Amino acid sequence: MYQFRLSGGVRMRALIAAATGLAVALALVLTITALGSPTGETSPKPLLTTVPAHP
Amino acid sequence: MRRKASLILLALAVFFAALSPLLRWYAFPRLAKIPPNQYQDMVLEAKDATLLDYATMQARKVPKVTIVQTLKGNVEESEKIEKTAGKDVVVWDGLSYVVGPDGEMVSQIPERYIFDAHTQEPVHATGEMVDGDPVRRDGIEFKWPFLTEKRDYEYFDAQARVTAPIHYKGTRDFRGVDVYYFEQTIPWTKVPMPKTMPVEGVTPESIAETGTTRWYTTVRKFWVEPLTGAPVYGEEIHEEELRGGTLLGDRDKVTAFAGHVKMREDYIKSTVDLVNSNRTLVLLMTSYLPWGFLILGALLLALSLYLEARSRRPADPAGVETAAPEPVSA
Repeated sequence: MYQFRLSGGVRMRALIAAATGLAVALALVLTITALGSPTGETSPKPLLTTVPAHP
Repeated sequence: MRRKASLILLALAVFFAALSPLLRWYAFPRLAKIPPNQYQDMVLEAKDATLLDYATMQARKVPKVTIVQTLKGNVEESEKIEKTAGKDVVVWDGLSYVVGPDGEMVSQIPERYIFDAHTQEPVHATGEMVDGDPVRRDGIEFKWPFLTEKRDYEYFDAQARVTAPIHYKGTRDFRGVDVYYFEQTIPWTKVPMPKTMPVEGVTPESIAETGTTRWYTTVRKFWVEPLTGAPVYGEEIHEEELRGGTLLGDRDKVTAFAGHVKMREDYIKSTVDLVNSNRTLVLLMTSYLPWGFLILGALLLALSLYLEARSRRPADPAGVETAAPEPVSA
């Protein structure tokens, strides 16, 4: 049976790799949510007082 | 080399695995919102309706009454309110414009609806009104929240200016879309006269002087797509009466309007198409991407562990070389 045991140095490198992945994911999501979406401007179209022919 | 690759794969595995819940429970609630500049119109029709002729004060059958409903996002007002509310706010200026069979205006009711862009909960600020009267909504109007639940909601009735429960009545299939069906009944309620009347010279004040009052009842039905919270179809069985006063002569009451109001066919089609495309976006954020990222993370982790294991497999025994065969001479 093959024993899968990590030495101290390998364990540290794996931990750093995992932490990097987590940090990048957090940074990406925080950036996207902070940017949000542009608000735009109020439509120049009027409130309708005639029946439109189509949508 | 394999060890370096396994570390990179491990980092990617954690990246995608972390992205999955972050997208669903952190990003989605913050990104899913009604844009403040949205503009939309809707046409509803009541065929074979009853309508009051204000010239004769007699109710008559008419082939069709049309209701044109417009909602327009007021960006400047929403930005103003956001400063004090401290959250994303949408201000909808709306107009329900009712047109008789002759194309003439029957009534027009403007309103301003202010709500949280993410949850659709009403926000109270100066300017919230129906037909010029300040109101306080304690429930939703026009749209349900994203990820609508199978439960009753509080819904604001603009005619009666009251908030009342709208009941969840089950799941239905509406033109291939799974929807939640909601129904609200507003019993006969005394309601204000519209500020703009169809006959020139007749005002709510002049009617009030005669002692005549306006009453209304409705059964409101909505078929709501639950992911987007957008109604794909709506109907109302709507009745209005004028009661009492000298205006009606010797009659106790007269029907002002009675009809079964339904969305016009071309608007149903365009609403279903729009909701379907928005539904895909919501599914992407709440299901497709989170599950896809989670599966990808698991696969990358497995691959990383496999490479790590391969890099640790004992090497072939060193220094054992097979000697080249010597030429044989006889």
